[in-house]
Amino acid sequence: MKSPSQQFTDLLKHQADAELKVQTLGAFQVIRGEEAIKAKEWGRDKTLQLFQFLVTARHRRGLHKEQIVDRIWEDIAGKSIDQTFKVALHGVNKALEPNRKGRSEAKFILRQGLTYQLDTSKVWVDVQAVEDFIEIGNLSIADDKILAQKAYREAVNLYEGIYLPERLYEDWSSEQREHIQVLILGAIVALGELLIEENPMESIRLSQKALIIDKAWEDAYRVQMAAYLSKGNRPMAIKTYKKCVKVLEEEFGIEPLPETQKLFAEIKLK
Amino acid sequence: MAVKKDETASFVLRFTQKIYKDKDGESNVQWRGKVSHVQGGDEIRFSEFEEVSNFIQTKLADLTVQAIEGKTPEEQKGILSKSFDLWKKMAFETPKMVMDTIKDPKKQVAQIQNQISQVSDVVTQKLEEQLGQKLEIDEWRAASKNDYAMMMEQMAAMTKAIEGLNKKVDKLGKKK
Repeated sequence: MKSPSQQFTDLLKHQADAELKVQTLGAFQVIRGEEAIKAKEWGRDKTLQLFQFLVTARHRRGLHKEQIVDRIWEDIAGKSIDQTFKVALHGVNKALEPNRKGRSEAKFILRQGLTYQLDTSKVWVDVQAVEDFIEIGNLSIADDKILAQKAYREAVNLYEGIYLPERLYEDWSSEQREHIQVLILGAIVALGELLIEENPMESIRLSQKALIIDKAWEDAYRVQMAAYLSKGNRPMAIKTYKKCVKVLEEEFGIEPLPETQKLFAEIKLK
Repeated sequence: MAVKKDETASFVLRFTQKIYKDKDGESNVQWRGKVSHVQGGDEIRFSEFEEVSNFIQTKLADLTVQAIEGKTPEEQKGILSKSFDLWKKMAFETPKMVMDTIKDPKKQVAQIQNQISQVSDVVTQKLEEQLGQKLEIDEWRAASKNDYAMMMEQMAAMTKAIEGLNKKVDKLGKKK
């Protein structure tokens, strides 16, 4: 098994070398070679939906076309399934490989029998990279704090917003959106904690970033309080605690955890 | 961006567990969470499960009301009443299931896996008996709506054929 350090290097290399790079966080964009694929190259929205679905389902072994159609376009049934899928898949392959010769195998969308999947060895996907960097951070936090910081930093920098914002109301995208949001909140807080003594200003910035994603994420308030304390800014640490109390009361009708209250008591004594 | 309107309501439920010691040094657990309605984009935070139940009930009621706009008042009343009956059952069972899972997650997962495995074994055995050969489970895939419709059609055709055969057997029996 590769060491976390080797995994980190491989991930950066994959990002640099991949022929196709997909951005899904904050906005959707696909970089083919050096250029972004233009909106008009996707043609119909169904083409774009199919590609985004394949990106979302990248962990699954090949999916049958009927399963794919069933998940994306639930109102399509019977004979329309084949036609709709065929047209959308043609559109995807044309957008990804405009110069591909007819009848040759598609490079990025693998077909095995009647199943289809994205070839993740050739395609770099930001949301996957974020997951992988966070995993490296979590694996190395006990033994190699420098590597953990680097890995979390890469993940945090890649997280530019929610997953596929234009598909916010689509059922098939919600699981991935929730999954990555919880992961990134954990990573931001972990990085913020690692930097409290060394760079409290950055810890404050990170905790603010977490609170923009979820204003009731109590761990982020604690990091911010500790960072203000480390910087010697007691009034701001107290203000942060009061904000935490207000938000938790408004959102959940509860008090902060004893851990947060204890930190507040320490701040008051300083 | 248009909000998708169809016959589906999906909810994403997030639970965050906080374990802490109170002033007396006793361990406590607190659950807080967030529930989002995917198609509408609304969300609420909660610390009591009843809040989730109310939120989901409101969204499902909205969906039913939307779906029966063109129907007569009598039909609307009947459909709404059935919809609420179903919800009442679900609202009663779901918190119990969640609490059981929280208390003993491994046991719950094992029970579900066991049930799936039992059903799967029975179905596989029956099919193997019919086909006279061993089935390679790895080649299976989850059935889509279309597969399901196809299976239903084939089962209806088979039922009809069996009825016909039964009639013929009856006739032959009478002749004897």
